[in-house]
Amino acid sequence: MSFVVRMALREIRASWQRLLFFFVCIAVGVASIVAIRSVIQSVREGLTREARAMTGADVVVRSDRPIGDNVRSAVEKERTGGRVSLVSEAIEIATMVRPTNATMTRMVELRAVQAAYPLYGTMTLREGQYSHALLQGHGTLVRPELLAQLNLRVGDDLLIGTQRFQIRGVIDKEPGRNLGAFSLGSRLFIDFADLPSTGLLSFGSRASYELLLQVPHPPLAPGRRDVTTLLARELSDTFVNDFVRARSYRQNEGRMSENLTRAENYLSLVGLVVLILGGIGVSSVTRVFVQQKVRSIAILKCVGSTTKQVLSVYLAQVLLLGMAGSALGVVIAGGVLMLLPLFVGDLAALLQVEYGLTMAAVIQGLAVGMLVSVLFSVVPLLEIRNVKPSLLLRQDIPSMPRFDWVKWSVALAVAASLVGVAAWQAGSLAVGLVLSGGFVAIAFVLHLAGIALVRAVQPLRHARSFALRQAVLRVARPGNQTRIILLAVGLGTFFILGVRALQGNLLRDFALQMGEDSPDMFLMDIQPAQRQGLTALVDGENGADPAPKLIPVLRARIVGVRGRDVNLESFEDVRGRGGLSREFTITYRSNLEANEKLIDGKWWGDGPATEIPEVSIEVGLRSRFQIQLGDEMRFDVLGRIVTARVTSFRQVDFRDFRAGGFMIVFRPGPFDTAPHTFIAAVRGAKEPAARARMQGLLVGSYPNVSVIDLREVLDTVASVVNNVTLAVTVVGGLVLLSGSLILIGAVSMTKFRRVYEAAILKTLGASSRLIATTLLVEYGVLGAIAGTVGALGAVALSWAVARYALDLPWEASPVLTVGGIVVTAIVVALIGVLASLDVLRHKPLATLRAE
Amino acid sequence: MIELRGVSKTVQSGDHPLTILHPLDYAIPSGQFVAVVGPSGSGKSTLLGLLAGLDAPTTGEIRIDGVDITQLTEDGLAKLRGEKIGFVFQFFHLVPSLTAFENVLIPMEISGRRDAVPRARQLLEEVGLTERAHHYPSQLSGGEQQRIAIARALANDPPIVLADEPTGNLDSTTGRHIMDLLLSVRRSRNSTLVLVTHDAELASLADTRLVLRDGRPVSPDDSLRTAGATSSAGAGR
Repeated sequence: MSFVVRMALREIRASWQRLLFFFVCIAVGVASIVAIRSVIQSVREGLTREARAMTGADVVVRSDRPIGDNVRSAVEKERTGGRVSLVSEAIEIATMVRPTNATMTRMVELRAVQAAYPLYGTMTLREGQYSHALLQGHGTLVRPELLAQLNLRVGDDLLIGTQRFQIRGVIDKEPGRNLGAFSLGSRLFIDFADLPSTGLLSFGSRASYELLLQVPHPPLAPGRRDVTTLLARELSDTFVNDFVRARSYRQNEGRMSENLTRAENYLSLVGLVVLILGGIGVSSVTRVFVQQKVRSIAILKCVGSTTKQVLSVYLAQVLLLGMAGSALGVVIAGGVLMLLPLFVGDLAALLQVEYGLTMAAVIQGLAVGMLVSVLFSVVPLLEIRNVKPSLLLRQDIPSMPRFDWVKWSVALAVAASLVGVAAWQAGSLAVGLVLSGGFVAIAFVLHLAGIALVRAVQPLRHARSFALRQAVLRVARPGNQTRIILLAVGLGTFFILGVRALQGNLLRDFALQMGEDSPDMFLMDIQPAQRQGLTALVDGENGADPAPKLIPVLRARIVGVRGRDVNLESFEDVRGRGGLSREFTITYRSNLEANEKLIDGKWWGDGPATEIPEVSIEVGLRSRFQIQLGDEMRFDVLGRIVTARVTSFRQVDFRDFRAGGFMIVFRPGPFDTAPHTFIAAVRGAKEPAARARMQGLLVGSYPNVSVIDLREVLDTVASVVNNVTLAVTVVGGLVLLSGSLILIGAVSMTKFRRVYEAAILKTLGASSRLIATTLLVEYGVLGAIAGTVGALGAVALSWAVARYALDLPWEASPVLTVGGIVVTAIVVALIGVLASLDVLRHKPLATLRAE
Repeated sequence: MIELRGVSKTVQSGDHPLTILHPLDYAIPSGQFVAVVGPSGSGKSTLLGLLAGLDAPTTGEIRIDGVDITQLTEDGLAKLRGEKIGFVFQFFHLVPSLTAFENVLIPMEISGRRDAVPRARQLLEEVGLTERAHHYPSQLSGGEQQRIAIARALANDPPIVLADEPTGNLDSTTGRHIMDLLLSVRRSRNSTLVLVTHDAELASLADTRLVLRDGRPVSPDDSLRTAGATSSAGAGR
């Protein structure tokens, strides 16, 4: 063992208690990185390993319209040609179901499958193995939550559309169910052959039609493209104008893996932020540590060690501590993963994968932990170069070089490396730069705010109270770690209060939108023949409220634009413009609605229709796709091509959904005779029982009509907002935790000074109580400043996000802001005093003699 | 052999330069015991620091065995101290985070000696502190700390030992013991000893005395002159 390592170990032995917080800081950051990465990597591995089972086929051909004969015959040709070995059909549709003997209803995502389903993977039921026979003859399989919601049991009957189905089993695990995919309701299976009898496939229903293809699997020839992807691409390209998409499981695998990698990288930036805060703490501790070690360094130089050797000793010490901290972080991450089910339930069952620490995550965590430790300590350690052994003879003022090139070059290299670490962790240079830049900017702002507040409290140095005077003086004293504590604690407060304020504003806004007179229930897929009866039924149920307004809707795709600035000949060209190619829900009417404002052009009004159909476009489409007044747009509406001229642009307030929000509105005329459906916005009763009865009656009489209860949606939105808030609060909590650690570290590093001061004060007659009060006030003032900095930042953040990103009216939350400041002050004061208890215990004489 | 040619030291004191040591020529043959005496602030410790390469002179050159140490880099000086110079301070200057034994060990570990551990034990025995080997400096008395410092100074068998008032911080009895120890190890190793002291009695034990006042030699009691002429102490021996 070399001198450097031995010396480093001896130094750790002597000062590990003072440096303890150093590696706990690192540990917290590393633990977050390792835990987050491990879980997501486990999920990714599990998903990609089972990508085929997740997709449920080698290739899935999917369309929002019934799959045409041309597509079927092309697939059949592939089957006879040998590229496809098996074809199975499935249809997915969101619909309402209800028990036969009650008025409760629920929206479900129904999937009708054939006997060959699933082509890959296995479906497991609570009762055991799945077999298609369970579905045959009007059988259904449901998720356990539906049973609970509708108070049903296996064996009971369920009404789907106009048909009665028997519940024959409970789905435990279903292949092909996308992780985290948005779903309108819980999953339900029926036999493909039974679907037509339900009447759900009536015109205009929002079904998704699928052909599941199995491809025979010869081993891949080297250098050849995977046959499933090739087939999927060919099918997609051939039928692009038929609105058919084909996707191979390998493409799905690639996409899932990409998405998860991105999620992993972004989420672990949380850990990096905590780690960088820890790093800032490390940097400040190292600076104090070197100051305290000046004499030892001089002695080492005096007895023959070179500057390089001494630097190596302390760098090795940082490395060893960084290693220990990172290892501790891995242990913590392991513990967190083990304890996770206690807090969030059985995650493995939810994600359908086993998870645990992954080697890659552990290695990354260790590497980042060590890198951050070294990078943040190297600049303060460079001070070792300036320690002259002559100070052992004479305390002279060190002659500092005017400009320390080495130090600045190293600092620059360190900054570049940190950007590199951030970019590596984010998996993107741009994100790395933004994160680093953002961090520097926030740190700078907090720093300036800190300076301003420290100045602002300075008049208190003339206060009557001795404790307050001392506290204010100490907060402003150079080298007292004020900056770093303000940064760490302020940042934590900023995160927590900021997200809480946003949460408040978001939920308030949703609640406002659910105001007294606004509709809170949407009815969809109403057939023309059902209009009258349905209106009468709703009128009968909600009496005094306004009659439901029925809005005609059709679904259309833009298949061409011939205009001044843009010329798209075919749907393929439109597809090249991204968002323009999606399916739009369109309507026609002669009036402008209350939530619409004419921006440009002329509204058609009630007059007779012109020869060329007219269309009004939402102004967002104009700016995104350069569509102008007078341009001609071609629409595919149920296979019929309609060419219309753009005669106006409207701005639509999509938050006011009473009349719906339509990007595209036609002048009445072209679709009068076309088959279409209606939607209605209805105000339901307030009492849950009455609402349930109305929904039950509606679904009972009109089984094809879907009811979307906005109150339920609001609950879902609220729970999503709450979950996001919780997640960000956890981040803020971690930041605050490292802030507290930094605080404890800073207190213990500078304790010697306080001990000495306390000794002098005691000699001059100060009681322990006075000294304790002084400490309490000092840290209270510091905490109040940090809290104020964070709270003001949070107010600014929530205002800016509400105003510019979410477009919400913003309201201040004074209770939150003031409460946040007070709590921060109390917490910091308590931690500060508890960490300084030694100061009170020391006997003054011993302390003074030691000095 | 230590040779000083026109060695001076000037520092900046506020706005004015302050000369602590005026240009000095001096030579110390190997094996000599030289006592540097003079009142506080006369430049004694500065001179000793210059000899050890702890500080750089403003002018002049210092040769140790023919090598001009003023031309050496910081690291070169560190190596020179590790090999040729043992230093004993008035305030002991032990590394507080290391035990007595480890403090003695350090210079040998730095120079990479293989027999560091047995030799450190032997040195501790020599200074009579075997049983205190694993105590930290804060657990040792002043005299004990100074004995550890002496053991440390002798660790690499340096031909030159520089001692800066080694008894200045000790009571007279302990000081006497320390001095006896220092002199006996010098005798047994025949090393050069330069001792800075206030103590006239101690100084009288030296082969040569260099008296400084206000940074200048004032009592040429041997072959000593101010700048301009080179002399060698005890040249006739």
